[in-house]
Amino acid sequence: MPEIKVTPLGAGQDVGRSCILVSIAGKNVMLDCGMHMGYNDDRRFPDFSYITQNGRLTDFLDCVIISHFHLDHCGALPYFSEMVGYDGPIYMTHPTKAICPILLEDYRKITVDKKGETNFFTSQMIKDCMKKVVAVHLHQTVQVDEELEIKAYYAGHVLGAAMFQIKVGCESVVYTGDYNMTPDRHLGAAWIDKCRPDLLITESTYATTIRDSKRCRERDFLKKVHETVERGGKVLIPVFALGRAQELCILLETFWERMNLKAPIYFSTGLTEKANHYYKLFITWTNQKIRKTFVQRNMFEFKHIKAFDRAFADNPGPMVVFATPGMLHAGQSLQIFRKWAGNEKNMVIMPGYCVQGTVGHKILSGQRKLEMEGRQILEVKMQVEYMSFSAHADAKGIMQLIRQAEPRNVLLVHGEAKKMEFLKQKIEQEFHVSCYMPANGETTTIFTNPSIPVDISLGLLKRETAIGLAPDVKKPKLMHGTLIMKDNSFRLVSPEQALKELGLAEHQLRFTCRVHIQDPRKEHETVLRVYNHLKGVLKDYSVQHLPDGSITVESILIQATAHSEDQGTKVLLVSWTYQDEELGSYLTSLLKKGLPPSTA
Amino acid sequence: GGGSWLDWSSFRGFSNLYYSGLSGLCSERDFKVECGGFSNRPVYSLKPVPDTSLLVTSGPPDTSLQVWQVSAEDSDVIKSVSTISTENGTGQTWAKIATISARAPWVLHGSRLNNIQITEVESRKNSASSTTPHSEELSGLAFLDANTLLLCCARGGLCLADVRQPQSPLEAASVPWAPCGERWCMGVGRGPQGSDSQPIACLSSRGRLTLTDIRKISESLASAKCKVPSPSSDAEFLCVSWAPALEGCLAVSGFDGTVHVYDAQSWDSSGGEAEPIFVHKGHAFGPGSSRNPPLVTVHMWHPQKPRTLLSAASDGSLHVWDWVQSCGKCG
Repeated sequence: MPEIKVTPLGAGQDVGRSCILVSIAGKNVMLDCGMHMGYNDDRRFPDFSYITQNGRLTDFLDCVIISHFHLDHCGALPYFSEMVGYDGPIYMTHPTKAICPILLEDYRKITVDKKGETNFFTSQMIKDCMKKVVAVHLHQTVQVDEELEIKAYYAGHVLGAAMFQIKVGCESVVYTGDYNMTPDRHLGAAWIDKCRPDLLITESTYATTIRDSKRCRERDFLKKVHETVERGGKVLIPVFALGRAQELCILLETFWERMNLKAPIYFSTGLTEKANHYYKLFITWTNQKIRKTFVQRNMFEFKHIKAFDRAFADNPGPMVVFATPGMLHAGQSLQIFRKWAGNEKNMVIMPGYCVQGTVGHKILSGQRKLEMEGRQILEVKMQVEYMSFSAHADAKGIMQLIRQAEPRNVLLVHGEAKKMEFLKQKIEQEFHVSCYMPANGETTTIFTNPSIPVDISLGLLKRETAIGLAPDVKKPKLMHGTLIMKDNSFRLVSPEQALKELGLAEHQLRFTCRVHIQDPRKEHETVLRVYNHLKGVLKDYSVQHLPDGSITVESILIQATAHSEDQGTKVLLVSWTYQDEELGSYLTSLLKKGLPPSTA
Repeated sequence: GGGSWLDWSSFRGFSNLYYSGLSGLCSERDFKVECGGFSNRPVYSLKPVPDTSLLVTSGPPDTSLQVWQVSAEDSDVIKSVSTISTENGTGQTWAKIATISARAPWVLHGSRLNNIQITEVESRKNSASSTTPHSEELSGLAFLDANTLLLCCARGGLCLADVRQPQSPLEAASVPWAPCGERWCMGVGRGPQGSDSQPIACLSSRGRLTLTDIRKISESLASAKCKVPSPSSDAEFLCVSWAPALEGCLAVSGFDGTVHVYDAQSWDSSGGEAEPIFVHKGHAFGPGSSRNPPLVTVHMWHPQKPRTLLSAASDGSLHVWDWVQSCGKCG
């Protein structure tokens, strides 16, 4: 039975270091190559030794596909390609190719320069890695080799994020990466056609969440920011440089404008400037509204939001600061957090999912005393709020995507182990498909029913259409032919043609049956009686009396001879071929009933 | 941490069970399913068993009960554990249930006066059965304490029974306020601390509300008429409940797509029409509501927040809502 094998090396019953191996029809594809943001040791990279213990990975993988620029999907790429060793093609969308190296370099700087780690990938490695990247457009079918092809679909979530269809022959897998089924202020919603893949691998970050109205959520967020700023407090919003940051910037900018507010809003520099630059460049990847209004006003040119300087954090008075990174696990956002945490007038708003192990996750779980480097204890008095603006599909969205794509099987990744079982059962119940949720290192095997294309000969096709009714697209048509398998090709031909091609003689099967009839007259008189009888009964058939004394009914032959021992009995020999079996049996039983008395 | 159970006393037509941990209402505005389960029969009534991690559900086509386990630790699926089977009575096709953990985790269940049983949830052993010959249909039942049961007949009678005296026949106290033709249900409230009294509200399918007390269930203390558009066509969904943290307030639903909140402290025995202090209309504005106006199937009060309620309707919507008291009454 042909099968598709899937093994997560990361993001199996976990969020972080997404890396999924798919083996389909002899091709091996790696989906994403991410880094786990919650660890600082070698648990942050996927374990590539699973693919091969020795030898370069290039021989074992046909291609690598990266879904989007978040570090938990591409953070391990330079390590994988330059330090472990891979020279094959790496596919991603154009915005991802442009933005990935920036984020990787930024992360490298924090890890090596600020944290002083060794044995991390270098700037040159990032550059060398990106040289292996092949950029793809949406809905463009890319031939990786003669048999393997891939196609990218719009995923929403962040700029340039895509879902990928991987196809070999008629077997296919769709990998969603991270996606969002509801459009937001700057990105559209994910979309896929009814491609009916054998397997859909979907993220399940919010498997158990059902979102309330976005408008209410935004109103709550603005209310909190406004209240804090009005009482002179400072609001810290940790964000990834690209992603929710742009969404919230547009939201705040609109609000500040409408309410004529004066408190400053800052965006941490460096990454941000480049980010907005890319949003302006890749405008076709944003949503309809932004594209339409782009000519009059660029949504990413902010009037009220300015570049941040480290010194501003000590300024008195209210302010709002967007700082990276998003889970408060390092860098500037953590620095600012430490400065502002002690004042209860201040507020930190976490706008998205925080991986376990990060400061963001800890304070969201209720921890108010944190251990920092050097055993220092930080007391958190500032208000901690969570507003889930995270652009992941919720439970309803996941079901919606499955309904759109109509896969035969579903596999859940990128979720929390304890929160996936219910969704898995719900999918099985509602769509009557199998649903899997393997852990890291666990292989799931999915059996497929590939359809095998067969060429039908023109002669056979003509013959079949001549016999039967017009072909119905929805109903299978039964036909007889001979299947010839030669040199990896399948052909369906008529039996006669097959015999000719193979140089075989056709064997004819002929049945003969003897029917005894009481008739003392001469043979030719009996024959005439039989002929008249059959002619009268079988009006729809061609009944002929041949000059040699035999009768034919269609292609069935009837001859009369006298019985060797009894002159009063005549023996009718009824002979027919295998093809005329039905008519032959009918004729025989008809004759066995006897002839009507002759009038002559 | 610190979730609170949602106790759906009637959850018609859905064969999915959801348990949402709402630890206070946070401004997160997302419903997080803590765990869920799948039932192959409709769940009409769902009650958690106190001090255990078990749930009991009931629903058609018969009066048997299903026992479920909420594991929550290692999985988010509510697993089916066992079935408490009963002899299928005639007529009513599903059992009303109430739970308590007194001498043991018990479930009180039945559909008629003569098929009431108390079963130990874990062992499924029968602890008590009713011996009355009356086959009055029940609309609700409740444990007032570990020894006392209160039963409400659909026709309008209330009935007290003592578990320690199983032989005494259960007879519905005929009540003067229950003329024929109407269907009744009850809601039992918490009495003031230290006293024996517990208020009982009885709601009829014509919108009549009668208040009484467990100390003398035959006497009506106050009554009023709700403002309902027309008598409830499907009296199965009638629901009345007392606010646990707002004195004298009760909520009524089951007539249409609204939930009414009344302050019963000012009611007398005249039975005149009462003005609700708040009407929740949200369910009537859901998608598709113009073609198929939804019916609120059940509601309940938040155990701690005084003015917060939860309500569900026949279109599958679930609302968590509160109201702002404009006139300064009701705390």
